[in-house]
Amino acid sequence: MHEKINERVDVITIYRKIGAISMPYKLRWNGRDHIIKALGYHHKVKEGKTIIHIFSCSSDTLAFRLRFNSDTLSWILEEVLDGASS
Amino acid sequence: MELHLNNNRPHLMHVDLNSCFATLTQQAFPPLRDKPLVIAAYAQPNGCIVAPSICAKKFGIKTGMTVREGRLLCPYIIVRTPDPDLYRDAHMRFRKIFMDYSNDVTPKSIDEAILDFSEMMSTNLDLVRIGHEIKKRIRSEIGEYVSCNVGIGTNMFLAKLAASLNKPDGLDIIEAHNLFDVYNHVSLLDLSGINTRFQARLNMAGIYTPMDFFNAPREKLQKVVFKSIIGSRWYEKLRGYEADEKNYATKSIGQQYAMRIGTADPREIGRIMMKLTEKMGRRLRRQHYTSRGIHVWCMYRDYSFWHRGRTSESEMYTTPELYRRAMLILNQQPEKKIITKIGVATYDLAPYLSDQLTLFEESFTKERLVADACDQVNDRYGEFTIVPGNMIDMDDVVLDRIAFGGVKELEDLYASETVSTKY
Repeated sequence: MHEKINERVDVITIYRKIGAISMPYKLRWNGRDHIIKALGYHHKVKEGKTIIHIFSCSSDTLAFRLRFNSDTLSWILEEVLDGASS
Repeated sequence: MELHLNNNRPHLMHVDLNSCFATLTQQAFPPLRDKPLVIAAYAQPNGCIVAPSICAKKFGIKTGMTVREGRLLCPYIIVRTPDPDLYRDAHMRFRKIFMDYSNDVTPKSIDEAILDFSEMMSTNLDLVRIGHEIKKRIRSEIGEYVSCNVGIGTNMFLAKLAASLNKPDGLDIIEAHNLFDVYNHVSLLDLSGINTRFQARLNMAGIYTPMDFFNAPREKLQKVVFKSIIGSRWYEKLRGYEADEKNYATKSIGQQYAMRIGTADPREIGRIMMKLTEKMGRRLRRQHYTSRGIHVWCMYRDYSFWHRGRTSESEMYTTPELYRRAMLILNQQPEKKIITKIGVATYDLAPYLSDQLTLFEESFTKERLVADACDQVNDRYGEFTIVPGNMIDMDDVVLDRIAFGGVKELEDLYASETVSTKY
């Protein structure tokens, strides 16, 4: 199942010097905290001059698509997936 | 005169990502891995499947089926719509890896490329080792779930055939000494460029296997089977000689749209045509072309098809110029039936010379300067920030998609990368 969310969420990020990667570490959505265990893919999208970072990441049970606007420094949870057929 | 096998050392490498769209989606979202997943144009029963995952293929699900047909084969398939930005980003990363090994990299589509090592063949180059290294780098730099097939051969045809021998994640080389062995283990339809229509033609000429095809004389292929120079090219390709052109110049730029529900409403069709011509015009201007020809086609609900193309003396550059011409052609339809698919392409391209003087300098120049200014605003603030009036509220219509098997879109992608680095 996957669900489009498109809501602003609280996110804590972490920077790892090995690999020079910045990535979400924890996000709070619907009153629950989700620890990010793996970053599946990170890519950038240009919306005009603004660079948007898309983080496709997962906790133990769910996968998230998070959108970071480098202009406004805001995080949006775009989508949540659990890997089951909808 | 009979042509012998090409005994040269193979110098071409074909790299093909396995189930590219589906694999990249599974790379991004681990809970989807090792599950039957399909990427479909629309997540609805009639949506066309554009990429099944490796697991979905095991259920018999193929590209071109509808989601409904896929669900009949596997009721619990996961359906997702395409993510063009993800695929384009991955393509740019593959390309960067390939460019580290050869200066001559030709993309064949968003998930395939040809690496030419002919300039380095005087050195002791080990292409098998390079192939393994590329596979390793793709896993470490793009994602551990992403795999590719590598094929090595003396021409593009054999390199592609080699890449298809052991899917997924294979690496094969076809040389003169194992060529017949390969031909004996594949069918005509396994050869790139042979579809069911060509297979029927070959069968009619008594050719049923790749070995029959190989043994057919050049004259027979040229005069009886293909009835053109293509037959002669096949004769050379099957023997390991290069007969295909590597680069195809852009000859046309087009856009198309498949409607979820067909329409015959001229106002709605006009709005869709405006969006198509705006997207086409953006690509035309980004690649610094003008055009003289417009081709419009429609597929109707009753599966009938209509198309018409017209070339004119004056050049087109701005979206209104393209739109006016396209609508003039569209209004020549003999019947106003319900349209389910519509497409427009512009051709007869020429480089845009912005400083060229014309007899009608004032009006033309102003329109073109406005078009360039609008493009700059859209480059800076995002696509469709400024749009023609009849495109308002069309955000969810004519979505961004990746063209199948085409390289034209990639030229556009590279052009947009060049533009964006200017900021």
